[in-house]
Amino acid sequence: MSLLEINNIEKSFGDLQVLKDISLSIDQTEVISILGPSGSGKSTLLRCMAMLETIDGGDMSYCEEKAVTSVSGLPVYASKTQIKKIRGYFGLVFQNFNLFPHYSVIKNITDAPIHVQKRSKNEVYKEARVLLKKMGLDDKENYYPYQLSGGQQQRVAIARALAMKPKMLFFDEPTSALDPELTGEILKVLRSLADEKMTMIIVTHEIDFARSVSDRVIFMDGGIIVEEGSPKEVIDNPKNERTKAFLKKMSFNS
Amino acid sequence: MKLKKISLSRITVILFIVYVLISGFTFYCAADNSKTFTVGFDAEFPPYGYKDESGEYVGFDLDLAEEVCNRKGWILKKQPIDWNSKDMELKTGAIDCIWNGFTMNGREDKYTWTTPYVDNSQVVIVKKDSGIDDLSGLAGKTVAVQSDSSALAALTDDDATEENKNLAASFKELQQVGDYNSAFLNLESGAIDAICMDIGVANYEIKLRGNLFVMLDKHISSEEYGIGFLLGNTELRDEVQETLWEMLGDGTFIRIAEKWGLESSVCLSSEDSYIDNTVTENSQSLVERFLSISKQLMGGLTASLAIFFLTLLFSMPLGLLITSGRMSKLTPLRWIIKIYISILRGTPLMLQLLVVFFGPYFIFGINTPASYRFYAVIIGFTLNYAAYFAEIYRSGIQAVPKEQYEAADILGYNRRQRFFKIIFPQMVKNIIPSVTNEVITLVKDTSLAFAISYTEMFTLAKQVAAAETTIMPLFIAGIFYYIFNFVVAFVMEYIEKKLNYFR
Repeated sequence: MSLLEINNIEKSFGDLQVLKDISLSIDQTEVISILGPSGSGKSTLLRCMAMLETIDGGDMSYCEEKAVTSVSGLPVYASKTQIKKIRGYFGLVFQNFNLFPHYSVIKNITDAPIHVQKRSKNEVYKEARVLLKKMGLDDKENYYPYQLSGGQQQRVAIARALAMKPKMLFFDEPTSALDPELTGEILKVLRSLADEKMTMIIVTHEIDFARSVSDRVIFMDGGIIVEEGSPKEVIDNPKNERTKAFLKKMSFNS
Repeated sequence: MKLKKISLSRITVILFIVYVLISGFTFYCAADNSKTFTVGFDAEFPPYGYKDESGEYVGFDLDLAEEVCNRKGWILKKQPIDWNSKDMELKTGAIDCIWNGFTMNGREDKYTWTTPYVDNSQVVIVKKDSGIDDLSGLAGKTVAVQSDSSALAALTDDDATEENKNLAASFKELQQVGDYNSAFLNLESGAIDAICMDIGVANYEIKLRGNLFVMLDKHISSEEYGIGFLLGNTELRDEVQETLWEMLGDGTFIRIAEKWGLESSVCLSSEDSYIDNTVTENSQSLVERFLSISKQLMGGLTASLAIFFLTLLFSMPLGLLITSGRMSKLTPLRWIIKIYISILRGTPLMLQLLVVFFGPYFIFGINTPASYRFYAVIIGFTLNYAAYFAEIYRSGIQAVPKEQYEAADILGYNRRQRFFKIIFPQMVKNIIPSVTNEVITLVKDTSLAFAISYTEMFTLAKQVAAAETTIMPLFIAGIFYYIFNFVVAFVMEYIEKKLNYFR
């Protein structure tokens, strides 16, 4: 079953067209990495899929339910209740974690399941503690975000997203705001999620990680998908010149 | 330790200000080498002294003073004063005399007087159609007098006649007002039923206001006007007195009286002699006076506290409502709120209080009950402070990163939850320093309620200061305000610390 299907997505900021005719389909348990230089549109694509940005053209479906349909070339969003329901299908982990600073770790994780999904408090807390243990943070449940390192905060953010029981998770450069020595702990968490068959779309700069964990790699530049395929095809044997140039630059940097 | 540091730096600041004031004063005195004669007067007391249509200070008393100065070769300085502060002005030498339809009766021992030059009486003014036609008709009514005026003294002083004391006791309320203009506005709007005042001023005001008002036939007292000098300053008094007699002799005095229609009231005579008085010391000890004045101010403190707490109680939530309008997606609503905030921040609070108090009558013709005075204070303060709080809230909301909204949206919170659960607590933390400023300003702003004659602590302090001819009540009021604000600052610091659990 395809969890997410987008067709012919267009997005502009003013005169600048950021996404040009993007189509993509994601199957259950698939792990997809999106690579590309800054300004290539990869983060905008992710934010459109997470419905933080509205699209200017094209259509989107989640779990075979229409979120946006294209009516004579113009995108029409589904009803508010439908969108609200669809929002529950996915979670997003931000580059800057965006934990709620006034909530403790456990409250960050449990508040939305209790007050948005109206689940029982006991059950939610129990699950949250299991998640924290999995993240190696079981001793931190009463800490406030400012008392944690960046890596710990990002793990709480992942736990917060998982507590909503999404069908798929989006990651927007999850390690970019971290010190290099802290990226490892996040990548480890992502790897274990992949092992558990979580459907994930990851915008990242970590080439080695993308190679080892992804089922499929997408290389974007200038608002289009330049190259798409298995890690072996896109990362190890890129066909397109722009992909080659980008990968070369990345390997120099690291 | 931190507390000590703050109060030390405050003391340094206070010392610096005192230094600047003293050095400025010394300079002022040194520069003054030609003889000036500074006359203190209430600029709202026609026809004796007031501001005419061209903005000049004119009047019978000022004309007399001008003539005296011409003859003596002095430079006349017309100094309008706040009537409640007249004794302080005189004591500090800021004015040389009080020359302004100044009643001698009951004040014989407080000043060095010239001989009386006007005979005046205290009369009662009511609205023409009020149905009140004699003094007994004032029973159960609200009657206004100017604070520390002869009318007030005639009704309530220890040496007032029994008849007048009984009359005053029959009133529903004896309201003290700052000036006659607001007294007449009050009378016209029905907030008060009668005004007791000097006959000369009464005649003038009735004529000026198109005979909307009438004077009761029976006077409540008769009295005389003199020129008051600082007790003991006989030298200057004698110079002025001799010049007045000179003016009386050559007919100038009567000519000036005729110019102001006062020829039937003047009574200057070279046969009169001075009142004999000397400086007497107040027998109460400093501590006793401090305590007695503090006790008198307590009633005013309660009123100030009421204004303070009720204003906060209403304006803080109202401010939030206004902010939501200010940040609304509806353009017309946003503009209305913008204009509201602009007006409330752009005009004096004092003016807003006047509009709220007198507006119902003068705009809509609604007669307001006597209790409306207090409500008007609270409404005026609330509307004004809500505008300020609204802008503070807005800055606090805008300081919350937009990613917090996105995180809340991704987790499925609705708009209400997003605001009250996620944005609001962060806003509160952002705005604490600005709110502290605003709350401390409010403590001091409560004194502005005097604009509509609501007796809070500062108004009371001025009245007590006038009655006891000392600045001690003002000083004590200052201490009370400071303590009040010290507590406010302490509480706000506590709240700020409590909110330090997150960053």
